[in-house]
Amino acid sequence: MKEKRKGPLSRAAGIAEGVAATVRRLQREREPRVLVYDPSGYARLVQPEARGHDRIMSLAEEMLSEAAGRE
Amino acid sequence: MPDTLTPEHAAERLRELSADVRTAVLLDAAGSLTSATDADRRRAEKLADLARRLFEEVDRATRDWEAEPPEQVEVQVPGGAVFASRTPRWTLAAVAKRGALSSLILYDLHAVLGELEGGPPIRRSESVEERAAAPATEERAAEELPMPELGG
Repeated sequence: MKEKRKGPLSRAAGIAEGVAATVRRLQREREPRVLVYDPSGYARLVQPEARGHDRIMSLAEEMLSEAAGRE
Repeated sequence: MPDTLTPEHAAERLRELSADVRTAVLLDAAGSLTSATDADRRRAEKLADLARRLFEEVDRATRDWEAEPPEQVEVQVPGGAVFASRTPRWTLAAVAKRGALSSLILYDLHAVLGELEGGPPIRRSESVEERAAAPATEERAAEELPMPELGG
């Protein structure tokens, strides 16, 4: 069971830990990667060393450039 | 915007649903551009071609997997992300802003394609003021009925 934090300093530390964990999670989610989802929504990562990974990344970057050119 | 979603409006509908979508294209089963958020036809064609090739590469990369062919793909790249979803008839691809929530964009892609395939239309929520201002209809009254309780 998670120990309840007591005192204002301890509670502030708890909030900071939570914020840091959220930031880490968001950063992880934005790392370059390729994910594919099957019809049931199950996600699988295309490993960076996998066949076609670099090509997929470069096509996506090209799509982003096209979108940026529009703006 | 018509009530029934047509392929010509699908890309724009996606952008309406997702504020994080920068641009979107809809391709038919042959991989041809059907609709786009971009008015520039040349750029939309280019984006559609890239989206078609993206799924080709995904299929190539996952060919040996003991799993069903992917229905959706998410590619995170520096500065943004690309999402695409497909059915046997349509492929909808979107370029999203950096920091877009993947689950939301993927859900919206799925919802738009579902509506295009004859599924229930996407219902937009409306504010209390909008609801009060709208004329009373039997349909609206039915929406306000309490949900039946489950179980015995």
